[in-house]
Amino acid sequence: MKYAVAVILAWAFAVLDVSAMPYLHPLGVSPDLVLIFAVCWAIVRGHDEAMIVVPICAVMQDLTTSDPVGTSLLGLAPIVPLAVAVRLRAIESDFLPAAATVMGASAFYGVISMMVLGATGQEIAVFHALFRVVLPSIVINALFTPLIFLPMLWISPPPPAWLQGSTRLRSSI
Amino acid sequence: MRVVWWFATLTVVSFATIILSEEDALDPFKNVALTVSAPVDRVVRDAASPLSDIYDGITDRGDLVRENERLREEVEILQAQLADQQEVLLRIAELEDALEVKSTRPEDQLLVASVVARDPSPLKRSIAIDRGQGDGVDEGMVVLSREGSLIGTVSHAFQDFAWIRLISDPDSAVNAQVNTTTLPSGTEVLTLGTPAPSDEPDPSATPAPSGAATPVPVHGVAKGDLRNELVLELLPPEAPIESGSLVVTSGLGGNYPPGILIGSITTVEPRPQAPFKKAFVKPSAGLSGLDTVLVLISFEPARLSPP
Repeated sequence: MKYAVAVILAWAFAVLDVSAMPYLHPLGVSPDLVLIFAVCWAIVRGHDEAMIVVPICAVMQDLTTSDPVGTSLLGLAPIVPLAVAVRLRAIESDFLPAAATVMGASAFYGVISMMVLGATGQEIAVFHALFRVVLPSIVINALFTPLIFLPMLWISPPPPAWLQGSTRLRSSI
Repeated sequence: MRVVWWFATLTVVSFATIILSEEDALDPFKNVALTVSAPVDRVVRDAASPLSDIYDGITDRGDLVRENERLREEVEILQAQLADQQEVLLRIAELEDALEVKSTRPEDQLLVASVVARDPSPLKRSIAIDRGQGDGVDEGMVVLSREGSLIGTVSHAFQDFAWIRLISDPDSAVNAQVNTTTLPSGTEVLTLGTPAPSDEPDPSATPAPSGAATPVPVHGVAKGDLRNELVLELLPPEAPIESGSLVVTSGLGGNYPPGILIGSITTVEPRPQAPFKKAFVKPSAGLSGLDTVLVLISFEPARLSPP
């Protein structure tokens, strides 16, 4: 059931990304709701579920954009390792790790997209893309994170203690 | 360890699907996905459009005021030109009747299409339309705005949908020409590519006579640019290009019919030591707010024509 909900939400965010979001372009880029949704799921509900939900999000995004199918699959894949790393955090906060993961995932996604587009024969102005596209995307996606993170946090059950990094850091190590 | 295996597997699957996608093997899936999402896209776009106007109004107010002033001046100039043009058109019609020829292209067949999606990637400028191979749309076909200005070409055609690469995409390059009015006396103009059609004046063969004011087409390449939308490159260094000059397709290369309006020059970059100069172009069509476009299905681009 939860994965059916994830499919519907991922599709809805993918549709929003190609319909409404291009109208909204602060700093010249539009927020990537699918990426934010995938990160929030990974942070709030744990990486076990994210290992299913992230590919679902990636496929939805690839099918609704002009990118070759597989680009988002490759671009969003780092979300799960990033989420696992962030779970080992020492700080007791819910939102900051999510925002940090969104920023990291946005950077990875931007760079990987550039590499895939370059490899498939499209012209990429690397420095312009890095400073005018990837960097603003990092900021904008982080700013839009609360819009998805907070509702997801409210409707999700609290994660089990063993998933919390602080517990693991206080163990026998 | 499980995460590492998952990551490795996903990476391999990604590469495999990218390769399959490049071979068009996954086009049916994309076609189905667009078929399902297009109606929702349309509803959301319609709903978001007024919000976008409010957002643009807030963020671009200063620009809008300045643009309004500039447009008022342009309207005045254009109205004066229109009056002159009407006289010229009458004269052309008389001459066409006398010679029994037509200079327009009545054989042009245009297919109306609605925009159903816009690629969210800031690295590209693409839109999706609700017409595809089933409607006669093929890759490379020229796409125009409702007003007839060039907006791009079909980059990928599915059965029922197609992606359009806009002229502002970094991968887009259009052979263009600027119709300048005069040349400085004694200046010789360098043309690029193949010679101009015989019915146009060939500037390389006929340098302007000293003191004469001769209309001269200057050839260049209009390339998409993520920062400035459109940049006209490879312009001869002495070309007398001014802001406001109209840029049209030259027809060189055979991928675009000649004479389609692309935009107007906004600024010319002075590059005294460079072999070519470049100019920034404002596209005539509003590329960010397209709802309906026209696919020129009667024109077969050179890349689609049989050898």
